[in-house]
Amino acid sequence: MPTPTSIPVVDGLFDVQDGAPALVGAKCTACGTHYFPRRARCSNPACNGAEAAPVRLGPRGVLYSWSVQAYRPPPLFGMDPWAPYAIGLVDLPEGVRVMAMLTGAPPEAFQIGSPMQLRLEPLRVDADGREVLTWKFAPVAEHVA
Amino acid sequence: MRPVYVLGVGAHPWGKFPETPQVQLAAHALGAALRDAGLGWRDLGGLVAASSRFEGGLGWGLHANELLQSVAELGIPTLNVGGGCAAGGIAVHSTALMIASGQCEIAAAVGAERMPKGFIPRPPGTKDDPTDSDYLRWVAMGATNPVYWALEARRRMHEFGTTEETYAAASVLMHRNAVGNPLARYRAECTVAEVLASPVVASPLRLLELCAVSDGAAAVILGTESAARRLGVPLVRVAGYATATGSFGDPATRIPTISTNPVAGAPHTSEVATAARRAMAMAGLGPEDVDLVELADNSVWQVLAWPEMLGFCEPGQADWMLTHGEFDLDGEMPVNPSGGFLSFGEATTAQGLLQVCELAWQLRGQATGRQVPGAKVGMSAILGLGANGASIVLQA
Repeated sequence: MPTPTSIPVVDGLFDVQDGAPALVGAKCTACGTHYFPRRARCSNPACNGAEAAPVRLGPRGVLYSWSVQAYRPPPLFGMDPWAPYAIGLVDLPEGVRVMAMLTGAPPEAFQIGSPMQLRLEPLRVDADGREVLTWKFAPVAEHVA
Repeated sequence: MRPVYVLGVGAHPWGKFPETPQVQLAAHALGAALRDAGLGWRDLGGLVAASSRFEGGLGWGLHANELLQSVAELGIPTLNVGGGCAAGGIAVHSTALMIASGQCEIAAAVGAERMPKGFIPRPPGTKDDPTDSDYLRWVAMGATNPVYWALEARRRMHEFGTTEETYAAASVLMHRNAVGNPLARYRAECTVAEVLASPVVASPLRLLELCAVSDGAAAVILGTESAARRLGVPLVRVAGYATATGSFGDPATRIPTISTNPVAGAPHTSEVATAARRAMAMAGLGPEDVDLVELADNSVWQVLAWPEMLGFCEPGQADWMLTHGEFDLDGEMPVNPSGGFLSFGEATTAQGLLQVCELAWQLRGQATGRQVPGAKVGMSAILGLGANGASIVLQA
């Protein structure tokens, strides 16, 4: 993560503390609902617009669903080299269901219900030779067949 | 609030019409609806446009005032409503309110769309904004619209045991219905084997299980009971009309968001479920009274999930209903006799209006080639980007 040789794909969505990556979300100061990414206010109508404060999320979760994209998305997505890849929804213990690229297994090998672990991995290398990192989830090591 | 009736409906065929400006598509559809009603442009008392994100003069999408300035400078009030793909349903709702409130005797809703090719991209000119999830979903993970439906479809396979063959059968039904609909873009029948042989776009969904994008336009003219009787049109009442937005805790991961906060027991696709419930309540009807539904089948997943969400069958029962012919034209609960989005390709904002046109043709007995026998009550349900939902109930 943010080292001279790597940059995040977008600032402020994840960080690394003591070598451990986490997603950066928000938690409602009133009802405790967690959000990803960060946001200013809780949208639970019971909270009447209460503020939401930054919080770290994950890094473990459970795979809710997954798909493999077989066609290359529009150019804003800079994955290079491109190949069909998996996208999934991961339920985090804080109650947030997060969408992410999946890694650590062949694209069609994921299983709903598998324990998953957050990883920061490069999407591409930019013009200055830096790795552009995004967040992904991989099956927890002991569950890989 | 006084009762509201359908005076006329009309549409431009769906397809790709790069040489036809959006306003011309709109004028074609509204002109057809006016002829259907036996009216002229000068008879309109108000006009509502379902405004596109993708095209339109002055950078604000299709506007009713622009259409009037090009065809008939009437000086009448206009409304221009957003709501993504639900805008067409929202426009019918707004038009019904213009009649019901006493503001207008006759008013129309119109939607026209020319779509960019391929995966629906961000609207032209959008800035790279890290607080905009439509930026994040592209830049961070390249999540196309089909992958959102694919994630739902895979989950349904896990929860209810839905098979790839059943998804394919949903596509087969939509395409079979469209054989009889001259407005549809894809009118060839297909088989389960052909659907399964079409390329996977976002597993488990294949090309023939996802709606394409098209150009198209549709219009609905509404009016008072006295206007309907004076014109001598078949009496079809707008018995229920409602819009809704998403509820907190809805488990659906909406395009283009990258997360959700599911709350146990919260309804899925709540913007549509709520709109449909409100429209039914207004009509004083229940799901058992509905003879046909036109729903937004962006993919085959909706063909199975939405009849359950709308209360036409129990969760997990739609697979049986589909494979036993109960969603067919002569089944217990006909789904998308028009052929649906899968046969039309989505012309986003026009789609909600086309649904209401189809309901009217069905209830009048004019849906030649795809008629639901004895249809008296029809319901539309549509979802729009940004947690917008709309539902219209027509009754003959």
